[in-house]
Amino acid sequence: MLSFRDIPIKQKLMIVVMVTTTAALLLAGFGIVAADSLLFRGYLQRDLSAVARMVADNSTAALKFNDPESAAETLAALRAKPHVAAACIYGQDGKVFARYLRPDANTQCPPADVRDESRFSADGLIVSRAILLGGRRIGTLVLLYDLGEIAERMRLYSATVLGVLLFSSAIAFPLSSKLRAVIATPISRLAAAATSVSQTGDYSVRAQKLSGDELGVLVDRFNEMLAGIQSRDGTLRTVLRDREEALRDAEKARERFRFLAESMPQKIFTATPAGDRNYFNRQFTEFTGLCFEQIENWGWTQAVHPDDVEADVRAWRRSIATGEPYHFQHRLRRADGVYRWHLTRAHAMRDAHGDISMWIGSNTDIHEQKETEEELRRANEDLQQFAYSASHDLQEPIRNVAVYSEIVAKRYSHLLDAEGLQFLGFLTEGGRRLITLINDLLTYTRAGLIEGKMTTADASAALQHALASLAEAIRENNATVTYDKLPQVSMGESHLQQVFQNLIGNALKYRSETPPQIEISAAYHGGAWRFSVRDNGIGIDAPYKEVIFGVFKRLHRDQKYGGTGIGLAICQRVVERYGGRIWVESSLGKGSTFFFTVPEYAVRTQSAAV
Amino acid sequence: MEQVTSNSFRRRAIVICLNLSLGLGFPSFCQAAGEPTEYQVKAAFLLNFTKFIEWPAAAFETPAAPIAICILGDDPFGSALDHFVAGEVVNGRKVTVERIKRAPPPKACQVLFTARSEKDAARSLLGLGMGTLTVGESEAFVRDGGMIAFVVEDRRVRFEINQTAAQSAGLKLSSRLLNVAKSVE
Repeated sequence: MLSFRDIPIKQKLMIVVMVTTTAALLLAGFGIVAADSLLFRGYLQRDLSAVARMVADNSTAALKFNDPESAAETLAALRAKPHVAAACIYGQDGKVFARYLRPDANTQCPPADVRDESRFSADGLIVSRAILLGGRRIGTLVLLYDLGEIAERMRLYSATVLGVLLFSSAIAFPLSSKLRAVIATPISRLAAAATSVSQTGDYSVRAQKLSGDELGVLVDRFNEMLAGIQSRDGTLRTVLRDREEALRDAEKARERFRFLAESMPQKIFTATPAGDRNYFNRQFTEFTGLCFEQIENWGWTQAVHPDDVEADVRAWRRSIATGEPYHFQHRLRRADGVYRWHLTRAHAMRDAHGDISMWIGSNTDIHEQKETEEELRRANEDLQQFAYSASHDLQEPIRNVAVYSEIVAKRYSHLLDAEGLQFLGFLTEGGRRLITLINDLLTYTRAGLIEGKMTTADASAALQHALASLAEAIRENNATVTYDKLPQVSMGESHLQQVFQNLIGNALKYRSETPPQIEISAAYHGGAWRFSVRDNGIGIDAPYKEVIFGVFKRLHRDQKYGGTGIGLAICQRVVERYGGRIWVESSLGKGSTFFFTVPEYAVRTQSAAV
Repeated sequence: MEQVTSNSFRRRAIVICLNLSLGLGFPSFCQAAGEPTEYQVKAAFLLNFTKFIEWPAAAFETPAAPIAICILGDDPFGSALDHFVAGEVVNGRKVTVERIKRAPPPKACQVLFTARSEKDAARSLLGLGMGTLTVGESEAFVRDGGMIAFVVEDRRVRFEINQTAAQSAGLKLSSRLLNVAKSVE
């Protein structure tokens, strides 16, 4: 059984209307009956009092002249009032003097009362009244009025109320059926629309507005809400679709990256912007024999050689802090416990805002290369040591040869014939050249030594010093030297001066017929300063561009271009010691431009060993 | 003297005696232990008549003059009437009892009771002025022009009224009085 709460609004309205109508009518009916009952009792009391006074007045003479028949006749006139059940006159002795009893009423005279009063008793309304003559009481009249009339009136009223109730219900029922539609129909439509939306999920449904009242407002709001939801639903769908696509794309990209990383011969890893490594490819785990859980985040450091760990971690932290590429050579422990040299590099990947989104890195096995390099370095060092010692040890006897040959030329030239003097001349010249050659060789071997501590050189100052040394040659050749403002670089200033001096010296030496014009400039490019020295000299033929940097390599053997052929070799040696590079761009007859680079942060590729 | 009694009268007398202090009914008529006598009843009626009749102002010598009840002939009431009248005030006038031997002058008597001792009662009616209620003791008295006559019927004192005579004398008789009269002419 449905409770009142759950029945449809139509029926609720019907019940409310009917209950209200009935209650109002019943209350009105009861009110009228109650009021009438009170009013009627009051009226009855007044009416009977008046009747009693009249009868009492008319009974005075009968009492005074002791005439009960006459009094009875007077009383009998009350027949006209059918509800008077009894009327009695008491004399002064308290006895009944005359009476009137309605024939059908089974009553007796009510007892007399000395007071004038009317009161309701079980039998009915009893009215007592003194019979006065000349201001004296000569008897008492008592009337008994049965309440049949009141009961009759009540019955009549009840019947009327019931009749009105039935009649008004008969009118109100069909009327309220019509009226409730005004409220119930819009609600039903709204409910139907809401049900439809919730069942089909179709937010394009709209409820029909039937009225301008609160229900109309409700319908409007409902429709607005639906429109809002519809629009948001559309947006949401689009966003979801886009996101799904983005996720698919990201997944694809991840797959691609994984495939790529796994298929690479190198060891590949990735790290979060905070530097926690969160991916290693198979090559890495297989090499180290460690599983991912052991090496993720900072776990990989256990595979680094104990001697390299501290510097490695420092370099990695520095890159994380600055975002600069990470570049480090270290030894990684293989699963069998053997350490192998690796070059590890990592670059930050940045998003559209320039923020680091991740790090991607690789470890390349450079062990063989490193071994070869080391062997080469050692051999080189030995050779250098040998060359240095040799040239150093050679200086003394050669100097003796030169010095004593000059002494002979000065003191004993008169003992020699012309041929002897010529031979002595060859001897002296050969000795001088040998000294120059050995000095250059010493310079070359010294160029392999980097100055004790890392310094910063002002390139402009280095150039000024170089130009000062070459001032004589510049003036002789009538040359013009122009230069830009040059930067500060991480390089020993004397080394930089040496490079400038050799390159400018070459430009003056290998000049053409026209007066030399030399331009020096510098540009920052790819993490390094690139210096250039341009001239308008004789130029270099393409095949010799590499050769000229070799020791004792000279393109021109004739006397026109003097020198030991070791200058460019020294330049190359110096530049490469600081991690830079030197090369030439030129073509025959069109001048040459020598370039060399100095990394912004010079790398010490080798400790000072000599 | 004929004993005229009725149950109600006797009982009433007893009640009256008991209720003297209340001043009801017959104030000082208690000497008879049993029934009131005929003349005691008639004396009470005489006084009662004054209460149901209106006299014209011309019936009195002065505005404050009492209502005089005059007894013509031998007084049959003894002290009863004097007892009843004592202290009575009707319509603002005292009530007095006069005993007279011959017909009174105008305005002297408002009620003239003609006793049986007067052989020719009708003669007493002659020469009376306006405003005198005449009361007699026989039906003939009313026929002869008297206004009220006592009759004893079935041992009860009753009275007849000649309304024409009363009206021509300028008296207004209350309809209530007429209602209790045995007959009205």
